[in-house]
Amino acid sequence: METRPPQLSLDELQLVRWLLGGLLMALSVATVFYLDINSEAMAAVALLGVLVALANPRLPARVHHWVHRLAFPAIVAFFVLDLRFTGQLLPAIVRLDLMLLLYRGISYRARRDDLQIVVLGLFLIVVAGVLTVSLLFAAQILVFTACALCLLMVVTIADSGEGGMSPKLAVRGVVPPWAAHAEWRRLLRRLWEVSDWRLLASAAGLFVGVVVVSGLLFLAIPRFQLENSLFLERFVTRKAMTGFNDSIKFGDITEITQDDSVAFNVDLSDPAQAPAQPYWRMVVLDEYKNGGFKLSAALRSELGREHTSANIQSGVNTGRGAPTWTFYVETGVSRYLPILGRFETLRFREAQNYRFSRDLSIVALRDEPASMTAYRVEGMQADSSSLRDPFFAARWRSRGPVGPPLQLGLQLSDPDKAVLARLDSEIGPTVGAKEFAAKAIDWLRAKHRYSLSPHFPDGAGDPLVRWMASSEPGHCELFAGALVLLARSEGIPARVVTGFKGGTWNAYSGNYTIRNSDAHAWAEVWDAPSASWLREDPLAVAAASAAKEKGDAAIAGLMDRSWSARLNSLRVFWYRRIVNFDQQSQAETLNAVKEATGSSGKWLRSAIADALARAKVWARGPWDGPRIAEVGAVLVLVGLVSRLLATGRWRLVTFGARGKGDPIRREAGRWLQRIDGPRALRADLERIRFGPAPSWPRPTDVFGRARRAAASSRRPARASSQSTS
Amino acid sequence: MSEFLQADRVAGAKATLERLRSNMAQAILGKDDVIEQLLVCLAAGGHLLIEDLPGVGKTTLAYALARSTDCAFSRIQFTSDLLPSDVTGVAIYDEATREFVFKPGPVFANIVLADEINRSPPKTQSALLEVMDRAKVTVDGQAHAVGSPFMVFATQNPVDYEGTFPLPESQMDRFLMRLRMGYPQHDDEIEILRTARSGYDAISLSAVASKADVAAIQALVPQVFVEDSVLDYILRIVAATRTEVEFKAGASVRGGLALRTAAQARALVKGRDFVLPDDVAELVPVVLAHRLALARQSGDALEERRSVGAHLKRILSALPPPA
Repeated sequence: METRPPQLSLDELQLVRWLLGGLLMALSVATVFYLDINSEAMAAVALLGVLVALANPRLPARVHHWVHRLAFPAIVAFFVLDLRFTGQLLPAIVRLDLMLLLYRGISYRARRDDLQIVVLGLFLIVVAGVLTVSLLFAAQILVFTACALCLLMVVTIADSGEGGMSPKLAVRGVVPPWAAHAEWRRLLRRLWEVSDWRLLASAAGLFVGVVVVSGLLFLAIPRFQLENSLFLERFVTRKAMTGFNDSIKFGDITEITQDDSVAFNVDLSDPAQAPAQPYWRMVVLDEYKNGGFKLSAALRSELGREHTSANIQSGVNTGRGAPTWTFYVETGVSRYLPILGRFETLRFREAQNYRFSRDLSIVALRDEPASMTAYRVEGMQADSSSLRDPFFAARWRSRGPVGPPLQLGLQLSDPDKAVLARLDSEIGPTVGAKEFAAKAIDWLRAKHRYSLSPHFPDGAGDPLVRWMASSEPGHCELFAGALVLLARSEGIPARVVTGFKGGTWNAYSGNYTIRNSDAHAWAEVWDAPSASWLREDPLAVAAASAAKEKGDAAIAGLMDRSWSARLNSLRVFWYRRIVNFDQQSQAETLNAVKEATGSSGKWLRSAIADALARAKVWARGPWDGPRIAEVGAVLVLVGLVSRLLATGRWRLVTFGARGKGDPIRREAGRWLQRIDGPRALRADLERIRFGPAPSWPRPTDVFGRARRAAASSRRPARASSQSTS
Repeated sequence: MSEFLQADRVAGAKATLERLRSNMAQAILGKDDVIEQLLVCLAAGGHLLIEDLPGVGKTTLAYALARSTDCAFSRIQFTSDLLPSDVTGVAIYDEATREFVFKPGPVFANIVLADEINRSPPKTQSALLEVMDRAKVTVDGQAHAVGSPFMVFATQNPVDYEGTFPLPESQMDRFLMRLRMGYPQHDDEIEILRTARSGYDAISLSAVASKADVAAIQALVPQVFVEDSVLDYILRIVAATRTEVEFKAGASVRGGLALRTAAQARALVKGRDFVLPDDVAELVPVVLAHRLALARQSGDALEERRSVGAHLKRILSALPPPA
């Protein structure tokens, strides 16, 4: 019925195919940057090559024929050597994939090659998605799917457009006709011309439908562990990137705080028990040497031997009513897992290689995790301001001249020790660790300001001691380290603890979000009477009462409603749904979806009923002047808008096909098809349908006659059928 | 159409055409459809190509039209030795006035019967075709207008092709329609046999319309209203012939214009001031068939005609008319 809309020519279609293929490759090559498998340079080269060839489709003809001849042997040789020397299968395969994509990107592609790049790209996307388990994966696979579907459609159309006779192999060294006169701006204009918004809208609608259905399927199918089933993670090893390590140099933690990205998110089963100022402990450092703290060999041995299991039972009973905490730790934070303090059970999603010390309350994985790490902690004490340590207490009681190190070590020169003693005397006489710590902190804070860029005074001896003796500003590590040295000089065991402090409460997803900028270091000093380690943070500014706040009040103080929080809530949602420790969360999600649809249906019904009721009330009102004017204005507005829609650039509303634009003509056409009435009536209808408008008889009259004619022609038929029955 | 046709002018045209029809029907028995198409061609101001065997009434048809419209009639028998000047006329030296005077040829008439046009070499054919196109004859640089109205009836024998010069497709395009007469029905032929007549000159028909009437009708045709969807229908048909694989080439733009004009003329013949899709569909075979050639060579000319007709019919049935 319709006139044929403008169409792309075959050459333009081929150009679109080139564009889509290039985009697809660029999209999949870009995912390698997240993978952290030492292929950034190659990925960058591949991306550049693909993009340059994409922008200039005449370029592949200029690629030397030796490249084509040598490409595959070279790629295979590289792959074999890569495998031989690195010994890591997955990175080698990814690099192989990259090289193949690069080669496909800089040569003309036949249909077979286009299908190949879809498969190669899909491999990269899936590998990146499984390894990073990031929200980006969902977005990427969506865009990729849309891109790939379009590409396959264009390939099919272009192929059938050429009568299915397209060559099986692309000709090399010759610029094909579609590329010879390729011009992106013209193509864009043509695409704009031929794009039919209705087609686009229905295609987008279908795509959304597919996404929604597959999302529901994803929620409904029994979850399986992607990583376990694909073994991908085992193929990738990572190095620690940040300062949360066995040892720190002064400034390491401060460097971390420069980064504002999310370190981990924490879900709390009972927000009423949320602490206002949680200290997320990660590493305990006891040995001070050469201007830095490190985990001593003795303490390391406390971590014990390595275990492999999905559960850590600490043997501590913290009592009932403690909430369940679920941690989602981003990659690159540490192999030490942040926890608040003592806990009953820590559950991973799958078996892990880890070391665990109950007395130190430290969990260390064997390797830096390559993907987001999730674990659930049950029965955890949220407040670690004093950490009972019966094991250390026993050692402290039975201390002798020789024995296990008691975290009293001062590997300093005598002049430094003398300075320390002098400083201790400045603090004044104290009784017990608690009082000492309080006074020492007061002394430290009176003498030094907090600053992210500290300055060490010149001179001989230990830098930390030098800093303490001066009045230069310093950062958290210096304060914590100073407190530890002062305490040890006084004969009180002390140690540095690193981790994160505080965090924000995401208003949208309702969870703690801890960013790298929350990284912190503080001290723990031994309190012999209570046989526990007391947390002493020289930089804790909040009053004791504020720190004790819990639940809503605590959350209110940490509330974050920023845009980044909104984005992060998506990430948390993704984690909550993709990471599950049991079937329960899946069932919860399905229930939530069910309720949401049910309640929206109810809402819609009530809204419609509401609107109807209001319309009734409105219609009963008196028809006065302003009211008529109001209705008239609305009608005029509707008319103008519909006219604009019907005649504007996009013709959002069309009255059928072109040429039948007039609704009166259309109506006459319908009657002409329906009735075989008297000739005069048909002539009038024909005149209205096809004749010049000024010569029309009154359409309403003619249609009325047509209605009557149709009714009268039906009546006898019914009568006759009744008489026969 | 910006101008709106007055109903009385349409009615007048219809009455005139109706008189012509009934008048000619007295002479041509049983060929009402051919007469109607002839009138359509006349109203549209087009030329006619009649393909049929000798002796089925082609000359009679042309003569009857000429007599009915009070037009000058002439007949040219095309032969292989016919010269252009035999058609157009020649300038000869007049001894008395001592200058060349133009002596008009047989083409200077209103209705010209070009019998067996394919018997002449292309040069002679083209002399006629120039007249058909421009209604003028140019001799020695001087243009002489032929009669008005001007209509050429060309005939061809589709069977006997030996020693002929078939008209090229470009020239076929000049004819608005190609008609076939066909044999009369049994009863009509009996009637023809009964009324023994010596020749076409013996037909006794009175003029029922004047040249001015015909000119008025021809002036009216372009004002017949064609609705957008009907134009669209015409274009779809023409476009379909262009994409049809069985045809060597589709109908030209002139073909589309011819179809539109013919449809307007038919609407007027039917007494309407607007075109119906039926007008278009009805005229497609006669207006478009001779403009199309099969992609595959066909052995027989008649066979080819039938084949083209069948393809056109298929195209038409595949294209739904605007509703």
